[in-house]
Amino acid sequence: MDETTLVRRAVKGDAAAWEPLVLAHQQAVFRLAYLLLGDADDAEDIAQETFLRAWKALKRFDATRPLRPWLLSIAANLSRNRRRSAGRYLAALTRAFREQPKETPLDEASAQNTDANNLWKAIQHLDLPDQQIVYLRYFLDLPVSETAEVLQIAEGTVKSRLSRALEKLRKVIHQDFPVLADRREGREA
Amino acid sequence: MNELDFENQIHSIAQQTNYPQTPDIAGFVTAHLQPVTKHRFFSRTLAWSLTLIVVLFLSLMLIPPARAAILEFIQIGIVRIFPRSVEPTAEAPRTATPESIAPVTAAPYLESSTLLIDLSRLAGERTLPQAQNLVASYYPILLPTHPPDLGAPDHVFVQDADGAMSILVWLDPNDPEKILMSLHIIPEGSWAIHKAEPVVIQETEVNGQRAVWAVGPYPLRLSNGDLEFMRLIDGHVLIWAVDDVTYRLESNLSMEEAIKIAESLQPVP
Repeated sequence: MDETTLVRRAVKGDAAAWEPLVLAHQQAVFRLAYLLLGDADDAEDIAQETFLRAWKALKRFDATRPLRPWLLSIAANLSRNRRRSAGRYLAALTRAFREQPKETPLDEASAQNTDANNLWKAIQHLDLPDQQIVYLRYFLDLPVSETAEVLQIAEGTVKSRLSRALEKLRKVIHQDFPVLADRREGREA
Repeated sequence: MNELDFENQIHSIAQQTNYPQTPDIAGFVTAHLQPVTKHRFFSRTLAWSLTLIVVLFLSLMLIPPARAAILEFIQIGIVRIFPRSVEPTAEAPRTATPESIAPVTAAPYLESSTLLIDLSRLAGERTLPQAQNLVASYYPILLPTHPPDLGAPDHVFVQDADGAMSILVWLDPNDPEKILMSLHIIPEGSWAIHKAEPVVIQETEVNGQRAVWAVGPYPLRLSNGDLEFMRLIDGHVLIWAVDDVTYRLESNLSMEEAIKIAESLQPVP
């Protein structure tokens, strides 16, 4: 059964039709939330909330459109709100425990993959809109058209924003992640 | 390294990212979509107790002061604003169009007013379908069906205010420099509700629920990123709430006309 048919059935309240749609898109939603939040538990919460909110709002969704951009858009919004509240919490925590070391590994499981992990850390130096567009395009491998739909901007704007984000990323890598820059240059040579 | 090479390398490294295993989101979601199971058994005592509580509650709801206190306690129909004053005589001169404050039934219908800000300076302009998609997880965008020839808004903005705030703007078809009215739709939890403290001229009702007729600025995001307290037009604002969503209708209409428009809101067909 294709996605449009499943969405139409889900709109009519058929929960059984919603499950295969969740299964089809849960990985992309979870991964985007994980990239934005850096915590698997938070990402799981956001992914669950995304699908529950989408279910409630499904009657207002145009069933002829692809579902994934809409879901990713909801997940990005929820993650952004979570980051804000987490940011406030962390700021308070930092004030209370200034003597505590600040550096903690982002994720032990991904530490083995040094290049990817360094790249992820470098991207976290960018503004949130730049992070989002880089994650969608290069990490989730979305085409430009779908990236545009998630961010509700024109395809041309996606390209120009990506170009600017990459330029900033290049500077961050050169300044703060010379190992990654050296490795890339080494590959080139 | 040129831009394309750099882009390809970033893409290539990004694809090597190790993610945690995706948890069973579908299982959780499906479980929470199930209808709440009903208790099969109620003891006679429990059933009688519940009946008594319901009768008592309904009796209290018939007494206006008690009903108001109960509704306020459980936050149903409460307009989420913090009025500074409710003295109409003291505050009326603040308005620029005092004649439209009074409940004059023969007031001009949909009279336009000069815009106080160039709309191109506002951040977050979208098409109506884009805005509907953006805010779909928060609330449906409702449009007035009164007056019948009003049509869709000429400008739609979605601004982030700890929740997606929609701003719909209708221009005067005979003079695009003037504005007929604007409708702000603000979700629960947004600071845009609490930041603005309008001067309340009088309390009223929209669809039988408490509403206020007020004047005052409210926070809007400009395209340069600044947040400013301002008004779009030189008029009054009708503020009311439906469930978790607060509505703010700004116009220079009489209060009666504004209420008619507020009560005509319907989902976009």
